[in-house]
Amino acid sequence: MWLFYTLIPCLLIDEVVLLPAPQNLSIQSTNMKHLLTWSPVIMGEETIHYSVEYQGEYESLFMSHIWIPSSRCSPTTVPECDITDDITATVPYNLRVRAILSSHTSAWSILKPPFNRNSTILTPPGMEVTKDGFHLVVKLEDLGPLFEFLVAYWRREPGVKEHVKIVKSSGIPVHLETMEPVAVYCVKAQTFVRAIERHSAFSQAECVKMQGETLPLALALFAFVGFMLILVVVPLSIWKMGRLLRYSCCPGVVLPDTLKITNSPQKLISCRREEVEACATTVLPSEELFRT
Amino acid sequence: MKASLWLLGTVFLLSSAHTLGLRRCLIAMDMRHVGESFQQIKGAIQAQDTFQNVTILSASGTLHSIKPLDVCCVTKNLLAFYMNRVFKDHQELNPQILRKISSIANSFLYMQKVLQQCQEQRLCHCGEEAANATRIVHDNYNQLEVRSAALKSLGELDVFLAWIDRNHQGTPAS
Repeated sequence: MWLFYTLIPCLLIDEVVLLPAPQNLSIQSTNMKHLLTWSPVIMGEETIHYSVEYQGEYESLFMSHIWIPSSRCSPTTVPECDITDDITATVPYNLRVRAILSSHTSAWSILKPPFNRNSTILTPPGMEVTKDGFHLVVKLEDLGPLFEFLVAYWRREPGVKEHVKIVKSSGIPVHLETMEPVAVYCVKAQTFVRAIERHSAFSQAECVKMQGETLPLALALFAFVGFMLILVVVPLSIWKMGRLLRYSCCPGVVLPDTLKITNSPQKLISCRREEVEACATTVLPSEELFRT
Repeated sequence: MKASLWLLGTVFLLSSAHTLGLRRCLIAMDMRHVGESFQQIKGAIQAQDTFQNVTILSASGTLHSIKPLDVCCVTKNLLAFYMNRVFKDHQELNPQILRKISSIANSFLYMQKVLQQCQEQRLCHCGEEAANATRIVHDNYNQLEVRSAALKSLGELDVFLAWIDRNHQGTPAS
């Protein structure tokens, strides 16, 4: 008889017993992005699917039998689910997950305690502070339509007040102020989520320095030296080029050694007179011939 | 003379405080999301409404005549009307429409909690006109068959949301 009783559970195989329910359900929520995770269900080499359902506080109070399939995770094959698009009101939400293998389903595991999006962790926003000419410009991290930003900026001088600007859209550069020359400006920002009435902490301040209207000394010196160099080098180059061109186009003539005259000009002249007289005596009869 | 002036000043101050209290009541409400959720299902819902000549909210007669002092009470009553009757009586089978109705219903629940705080601070007084307006809405609802009434009321959510938006414009966050 006792053998029969021990065999009963084996005879009445329950689908729930075969497929264990997912364990260790937890939520990580940062900047209004909510991720539900759980420990994976392992059944050998089989691919396990999971189904996620949610129930807002309204449903749990007025129609507790209604559970709504998650928009992204019914079904899913990974042991996590982005439920951001499902959690759309600032009330507690019940969440449940079960494993599916072919036609078998596990029992539901329910997240305890229920999740309210006002418990999300808000981090200081990323920001990029730049100068556009004389304009101080900031570009804020895009965190979605639920986020507004409080941007505080000031000139880093004693006694100067902080300005605050509310920015409702992110991702687009925002002009903060027209800066004065030779001044340092600092900027910091925090997020505000109206739906949960909470602010993040302020980001670390980022400072930018505005340059003066006159050129810095180093730049001026460099420009002067460069100018002087140009003033000297350019004419020199032109003159050198000119000489090169002249010699290449019209090179100078060099007398051979045999034609080089080494005596003085006076001796050359006296030598020439003697030659002329000798040439004149020889030439005369020819002229007489031409006369007759 | 002095006494009447003093009384007038006090009444004026109390009214201002009351109005400001109303405005503070819904400062955190993200109405834009609720409106967007409804716009996505409006066509599907209104297409099923077969009683075109009847209205539940009676916008022109009821809502538009609500005085500022009665706004908080009427808002609270109409939120309860939708949560206790309309959403419960409507049986929605389409999962996508069900998600949007759930989003709106849970948002209404949050709004009701905010107004509950105002009520505890005695900033949400219910006078005779507010009670009359609420009764008219319930009477209109009762004249139709339950499912048709629920469907029609769902279809008139844009009227209710626009009225809330007009009467509860939030002040800037402090």
